[in-house]
Amino acid sequence: MQNTLNPKIGTAITDLDTPCLILDMDALDHNMGVMSDYYKDKDAKLRGHSKNHKSPAIAHRQINKGGTIGGVCAAKVSEAEVMVNGGISSVFITSEIVDAGKIERLCNLAGQSQILVACENAVNAQNLSKAAMHYGVNLGVVIEVETGLTRCGIQDFDQGVDLAREISALPGLDFQGIMSHQMMEQPSSAKEDRVIEGRQLIQKILDTKSAIESEGISVNIVSTGETWSYDVAGEIPGVTEIQGGSYLVMETSYDYMTDFQFAGKILTTIISTPREGVAIGDAGIKAVGSLKGMPQVDNRRDLTVESMEANRALYRVEEGGHAKIGDQLLLIPAQQDAMVSRWDRFIGIRNEKVETVWEISARGCHN
Amino acid sequence: MERPVFQPVGTAAIELDTPALVVDLDSATTNIERFHRYFQDTPAKLRPHLGFHQCPRIGHLQMAAGNTSGGIAVTSVGEAEVFGGTGFNDILVTGKVVTRSAMQRLCALAQTTIITISVDNADNIFNLSQIAMSSGIRLRVLIEVDSGSGWSGVQPGQAGLDLARIVENAAGLEFSGLFVNDRIGMDGNWEQAANKTHESLEPIIDTRKLIENSGMPVATVTVNGDYNFDTASRISGITEVYAGIYPLMDWKSSQIRPEFSPAAKILATVISHPIEARAVVDAGHKATAPDEGLPVLEGNPGAEATRFSAEHGILDLEQHLENELQPGAKVWLVPYNLELSVNQYDYFRAVRGSKLVGFWPISARGRFE
Repeated sequence: MQNTLNPKIGTAITDLDTPCLILDMDALDHNMGVMSDYYKDKDAKLRGHSKNHKSPAIAHRQINKGGTIGGVCAAKVSEAEVMVNGGISSVFITSEIVDAGKIERLCNLAGQSQILVACENAVNAQNLSKAAMHYGVNLGVVIEVETGLTRCGIQDFDQGVDLAREISALPGLDFQGIMSHQMMEQPSSAKEDRVIEGRQLIQKILDTKSAIESEGISVNIVSTGETWSYDVAGEIPGVTEIQGGSYLVMETSYDYMTDFQFAGKILTTIISTPREGVAIGDAGIKAVGSLKGMPQVDNRRDLTVESMEANRALYRVEEGGHAKIGDQLLLIPAQQDAMVSRWDRFIGIRNEKVETVWEISARGCHN
Repeated sequence: MERPVFQPVGTAAIELDTPALVVDLDSATTNIERFHRYFQDTPAKLRPHLGFHQCPRIGHLQMAAGNTSGGIAVTSVGEAEVFGGTGFNDILVTGKVVTRSAMQRLCALAQTTIITISVDNADNIFNLSQIAMSSGIRLRVLIEVDSGSGWSGVQPGQAGLDLARIVENAAGLEFSGLFVNDRIGMDGNWEQAANKTHESLEPIIDTRKLIENSGMPVATVTVNGDYNFDTASRISGITEVYAGIYPLMDWKSSQIRPEFSPAAKILATVISHPIEARAVVDAGHKATAPDEGLPVLEGNPGAEATRFSAEHGILDLEQHLENELQPGAKVWLVPYNLELSVNQYDYFRAVRGSKLVGFWPISARGRFE
């Protein structure tokens, strides 16, 4: 457990123990502002995903800033528990919950906040219904539609219509709508490309919506879209909620989304310069993660992360560059939620000083 | 932090709430006893590195197994603080400590714990000396020598001697010997690994002699022995082998040293079986950390873990499994590199005879600083 004392507010960034996870507050506020400005006047609203930041403080900050539905998404029941306990009034669990003990916990939450949960099959729906009845609560149910991730979800309209009919008839359940995830095949910063690909991937869920509605079942929620399609999904009539989360902390694999700035970074120190052209830093895979590649060194063109071990990184120092023991660097991750999920707190920095410390309360909430 | 739901002692392992990092104490004990037995009559003694599992309770099982030098190794000052406070009183910090704040914390810890630190740079020695002096303590110092990995450490020979002299003359520091941080012997068969170990460590032994011939006694030569402990522990001039993978192992290490078996696995639950050929489990990359390699599915022939997104693990299934691995089914995943998986959890579910005996805190998790 990262139970070291929090740094004093106002501490200079150069005095922080390293490695640590810092959050550039200007960049964070900018990213939140992009979302609130965009969704302010749209029919669709943001339901930010809390799996990315795992912190009620950040969830509230985005909700207060505006443009949201007034709630969040969560990936796991334990993550939803942290959000509900942190005062969030509507939580959508975007994974299927099948275990009896977890369904019980879900019902317990539904007695405190509005709870929505993803579902893709009738047996699961029946189990959710039985538990909701037993506990005297209502669970909102959203059907997951597979649209390209080859993961979970119903595969075709017929399946969707049958399941919607089944859920609508079950006591204790409110059929609320449908959801989908999609990944951009060929990342592009050009909005035209994102519009074409986004519309194509999102069409399938809209078709499912029409098919269900033609049975006389109303579809209140169409939840889709991500950071890369925030300004595409938000323009499509029928889409009601967008699930973005990566936009907050950001990562180099989203560098084509130039509206957003890199906010989450690892502060690390050079601990060894064993020979010309090489430096070793005190942050490795356990601190940064390496899933979509090596992190990038912020503002230091002379340094490149060549490889990482569990507890350290090896930097190549370009010709003419310099690195000395004690130098502090900031690393921008290739994948942000893999980085955040290794830390128990964000240290918020503005003007090179600690402005705030936020607990990442749902770190480790795998269950 | 992780928030496990209480389950009583005696709960069957397969009934644990998922995802769960489960340590089988029967296998861990077998691994520990077998590994420590190697050091019964070797010139070098074992110094367990606890950074791989971060768990004081498992560390104490290791120390109780005997044939150790009496101390442990950890990576960071933060880890040293945790283990210094949980009954370990002789700690080698294998990472470099260069910031003022970390050096101060290290020296504070040295008031109550024997602390050994490794260095590869003269400025670092001066700074450590200054802070040790003002703290009124002495730090044991090892010179890190590069055995060929190209990471940290000075080159063998004169550079090692030069630093040893600087330490010898620095107040507050005690020159204790040499240190090799590189993992040797991961590739090839046992014989190739043994040859590589001899070849890599020969310059270290030569450096030892060079320093001794200059009139400075070298009390300690500590080298990594995760994969080559049986060779390294028998080389004359090496006094200590540090190792940490052996208690719990993982997929990667058990391929290299199959006489030890993986003792920590991740229990996951199938949450979706959307098409015949695919099942999805509730352990994704956050619950497994597949940065260096995918976890391996155990006990379900015909099924394979092939992809991990943040929250989901994807199993590809052969046809005959279409009716198995339905939602609710439990599966076991063997981590590829356990050290990375442990980093994602705050508790081991400790089981013996496939029954829960307790939640064991991974107390040093995340203490990178």
